[in-house]
Amino acid sequence: MKLPSVEYEAPATVAAAVDLLAEHQDEASVLAGGQSLIPLLALRLARPALLIDINGLQELSGVSASNGWVAVGAMTREHVAEDSKTIADSVPLLAAALPLIGHEAIRNRGTIGGSLAHADPAAELPAVARALDAEFVVRGRSGERVIPAAEWFEGYLTTSRRADELLAEVRFPAAAPGTGVAFHEVARRHGDFAIVGLAASLTLSGGTISDARLAFAGISDVPVRASGAEDLLRGEIPSAELFDQAARRATEDIDPPADLHGSSEYRKKVAAALVRRGLQAAAENADERQ
Amino acid sequence: MAAIAAERYTGASIKRSEDPRILTGGGRYVDDVKLPGMLHAAFVRSPMAHARVLSVDVSAARALPGVVAAFTGAELEEMTVSGPDPLAALMGGPGPAPEFTLLATDKVRFVGDPVAVVVAESRYLAEDGCELVEVEYDELPPVANASTALDPGSTPLFANLGDNIARPHSRNEFGDVAATFADADRVFDFHIDVHRHQNVPMEGRGCVASYDADLGVMTVYAATQSVHVSRIAVAMRLGMPHDKVRVLAGDVGGSFGLKIGASREEQAVAAASRAVGRSVKWVEDRGENLTASGQAREESFDVRAAVSNDGDLLGLDVTMVVDTGSYPGMGTMVPDIMEAMLPGPYKLAALGFDSTAVTTNKAPYVAYRGPWASETFVRERALDLIAKDLGLDPLEIRLRNVAPRTDPPAMMITGRPLVGVTTRESLERVAQLADFPAFRRRQAEARARGRYLGIGVATFIEAAPGPRSPDGPSGPMGLETMRLRLEEDGIVALFTGQMPHGQSHQTTLAQIAADEFGVPFEQVRVVVGDTEAVPFGLTGGSRSATMTGGVALHGARQLKAKVLEFASHLMEASARDLEIVDGRVGVRGDPASAIPVSEIARQAAAGEFGADVDTDLQVEATFDGGEGGWSGGSHCAIVEVDVETGKVTVERYVVAEDCGALINPAVVEGQVRGGVAQGIGAVLLERSAYDEDGNYQSATFMDYLLPTACDVPRIEIEHLETVSLDADVNFRGVGEGGMIVAPPTIVNAIEDALAPFGVRIYEQHLPPSRILELLSGADLG
Amino acid sequence: MVDITVRVNGGTRTGSVEARKTLADFLREDLDLTGTHTGCEHGVCGACTVIVDGRAVRSCLMLAVQAAGSEVTTIEGLAPDGAMSTLQEAMWDSHSFQCGFCTPGFVMQASAFLKAHPEAGEQQIREALSGNICRCTGYQSIIDGVLLAAERNRQG
Repeated sequence: MKLPSVEYEAPATVAAAVDLLAEHQDEASVLAGGQSLIPLLALRLARPALLIDINGLQELSGVSASNGWVAVGAMTREHVAEDSKTIADSVPLLAAALPLIGHEAIRNRGTIGGSLAHADPAAELPAVARALDAEFVVRGRSGERVIPAAEWFEGYLTTSRRADELLAEVRFPAAAPGTGVAFHEVARRHGDFAIVGLAASLTLSGGTISDARLAFAGISDVPVRASGAEDLLRGEIPSAELFDQAARRATEDIDPPADLHGSSEYRKKVAAALVRRGLQAAAENADERQ
Repeated sequence: MAAIAAERYTGASIKRSEDPRILTGGGRYVDDVKLPGMLHAAFVRSPMAHARVLSVDVSAARALPGVVAAFTGAELEEMTVSGPDPLAALMGGPGPAPEFTLLATDKVRFVGDPVAVVVAESRYLAEDGCELVEVEYDELPPVANASTALDPGSTPLFANLGDNIARPHSRNEFGDVAATFADADRVFDFHIDVHRHQNVPMEGRGCVASYDADLGVMTVYAATQSVHVSRIAVAMRLGMPHDKVRVLAGDVGGSFGLKIGASREEQAVAAASRAVGRSVKWVEDRGENLTASGQAREESFDVRAAVSNDGDLLGLDVTMVVDTGSYPGMGTMVPDIMEAMLPGPYKLAALGFDSTAVTTNKAPYVAYRGPWASETFVRERALDLIAKDLGLDPLEIRLRNVAPRTDPPAMMITGRPLVGVTTRESLERVAQLADFPAFRRRQAEARARGRYLGIGVATFIEAAPGPRSPDGPSGPMGLETMRLRLEEDGIVALFTGQMPHGQSHQTTLAQIAADEFGVPFEQVRVVVGDTEAVPFGLTGGSRSATMTGGVALHGARQLKAKVLEFASHLMEASARDLEIVDGRVGVRGDPASAIPVSEIARQAAAGEFGADVDTDLQVEATFDGGEGGWSGGSHCAIVEVDVETGKVTVERYVVAEDCGALINPAVVEGQVRGGVAQGIGAVLLERSAYDEDGNYQSATFMDYLLPTACDVPRIEIEHLETVSLDADVNFRGVGEGGMIVAPPTIVNAIEDALAPFGVRIYEQHLPPSRILELLSGADLG
Repeated sequence: MVDITVRVNGGTRTGSVEARKTLADFLREDLDLTGTHTGCEHGVCGACTVIVDGRAVRSCLMLAVQAAGSEVTTIEGLAPDGAMSTLQEAMWDSHSFQCGFCTPGFVMQASAFLKAHPEAGEQQIREALSGNICRCTGYQSIIDGVLLAAERNRQG
């Protein structure tokens, strides 16, 4: 399983990286952490003509907070994000999901931007981004664009990033007071991709749910917001019966894929269980964060 | 290394002499071998399950810079001696021999079947070359499963067989099967399936073949369980005299039955080396290992059980179909062992056994740790199913049916005596350790809170090496040989054909020899892995504890006698009055007289003695297994099943095992735990999956899932060393037992957890989705 | 071909590599450091684990060119001059391994983990090592080796 021949560039600036993308378009792959791309190359499933290694672009690393948003540079390593106090305090759902990504060695190289640009629907970060309506900042020759999460994930391993654009930053809204979160997944083993995963966030205000966010990993070719269930939850008082209802609503229309690790029926059942468990946990955490 | 102080080494968990190099990156595995001018090979493999090969064009590959050679299957036939796969000849059972070529020539028979080999300056370039090889296939209807294979209308994999029956149907009966079933109070009928899974050692197969044209010698650096078996395979295929082929092995990264002899690919690489006149390395990557190296265990059973109302298991009538994949080998032999072992340690009065083996378009069936393990699965599952129906406790039904340990011993209906078997003791002990009554209370409380815990127990015996046989050696695979020599520097060298790949032989055999001969542990060296240096041998079948431990013990004793006989001439004392203690030879009772063994050896080599003095301080010892004996044990698992997600957690695992006398308890425990881990893997995680067109679906570690440190609990082990059978050698084998009995132990526990739902389990692979299917399909009465 | 300079086990090493060559292959083939093993070449088994700039990394998931300018430690460099680290000694005492093929990856991963989490208990250690696959031991002896090392480190 050796990688196929490929050209290699390691640009020193974002502008140089963007120029390379503009020149080579779909013939180039961006190499960030490499934890998803290099296996694809080793299996000879991906055959780019050029690798654009952006690990030298220091300006794309870093976590900062302002105006109710937390900006995470695309090259921020997952382990750095895991250790970030800013993220722990302000984007608890992201903090909850990060330790579930693979194993420590993966997170030592893998990046926030890389995972979100790769857009594996069974991965943790896409579900988090979708749940929180994160914003994706891309840079191309013609300047910067901001793409909301709802428009970022287009299909299996496909995003709306144009071939000549580089994902530079992902912005997550800071959690409001009274927010509780849970990221749960059912995986075959600790650290594996989710068979089904759920990013859940509840904001309680005066004992009722003022905001509810639910996004699934692993039930489609993209992360899926359970908006129907969210609508059902808003304005209600948390209870087991309510969460049960939400679980049914969230899963009644889904048609998950079947593979070696689970049938469609199986994923549907597990998705419902995760909604019940996730909402219960999020509600408990919300009380703690008051 | 600081000297190890021990009253006696045997029986103690002496630190391994392998570890200093293993722990510091100093191990020498086959992929670490580098020779001058060495090239690398990669194989072109069929993407189709079943197809005719119309043409193979390697010209573009040959033209790629860095590619030195490329050979098609047809070219390799010209370069080698045609004949069956030597491993099939070694392992295969009755049944016609299918036509065989080293690589596929006119036909491919499974996804991954090798069609051509490319040799290049690097593995990277060799893979590039493989992509340029053009193969024209004409697809044939796939024979994707056993039921298709059994259909006479299915396209035969092998034209010369005419059908897909690798081993024709046969039936044997022991005892009066018809009467036993006619007279029984109850007759149960089950269909039980064991799924396909595989060895997956962390190091794949591979070799470096190096042909020296000047000397006409082929040297092969191998990853193997036997350097001699590998040598025979290569010599035969290349048409070379055996003494012109030398096989060397250093450290081997696990095998579990996979690396026996030289595979088709290794033989092809040897032929390529000879053709290009340079060393060629091939080490399989993980994709090749999962797809093409071989798979095991795909067997299905129709089981009838004749039972009394009180739970006596009177008779079993079993019909078995083995899916041997393509290229039959081990799969055609396994029914014989299963039949012999099916009664287990129980008082079975009658056994009927029907078997058929079929060929399908899947990877070939290979030996995997306890190849006959399904007999234990079937029997221990059947006992639980019967117990549930009759309202009996699973321990109770087993204790009721265990053959008592009598003298003369009870006989298995299939012919072997159950001498020294401690099944009753291990069942009782494991039950005690698990504390069934306390568990049942906890189980009831948990159920009340919607949590489902279960407990399962299973027991087994294995012929490691098996009881003494009236007409030959106890051990399978014959007499064990060892050469022992006192080197000039005082080292006691043991030359053995064993080829350790995790078994710690370099430590355990040294423990025995050190004790017996009288030298410190550090003064014994175990030499393995060179056909020039070691006698014939093979590591497998859980035989080495008895066979090799025994030959080391007796050989050391013989060598000591020889050394003392010689020393008596030097020391002017009768050999009878001499002893060797802590590496020094001296007159008993006179410590001042003692001189180092090395001095004795030096004098034997240098001095001049009369013709009546034997100065050749080495012996060639053989051992037939002595009284042999059974190994066995009982396992107990406590699991929790999450009925919403189907996930199973193994909360606790307890073992009471009996492998006779222990050479090194830590080594024994490591073998048991490793086997149990594979059993956990088989039930919860591992499956070699094919779709209905024969496409392989488990070709990476993202799909073929191995258990991790979060999947295997602490495994509590108690040793029973109860029955001595032999005056000297009571070590019995333990390598395979864990893997044989862990699957039914865990499945029994899962069924117990799901008892409130009325679930009955007739299969071995229970991933989360299957658990939920069983729950929704069960009678929720 | 790209010329690279990497600090490996405290020394400066240079090489000329194709961009596609993994760090694992560079270590094994170009630098003759065969202690690092490849068990899957797609980042799952952990046998290839080395330390890069202080952090455990799967060397099959890095290109050699990406290690230019970095500090790499392999199993051969864990302890100086033939000595063994506390962890390696503890694993020897605990009979942690059998065939040894997974061993370098476990030793490097555990070594990095213990440095960062000297007080870790069994469950944490199991989770930390759950990305390393062993086929021989069932893991208990490996965990015991790590626990023993942690205890000995605490005793100083």
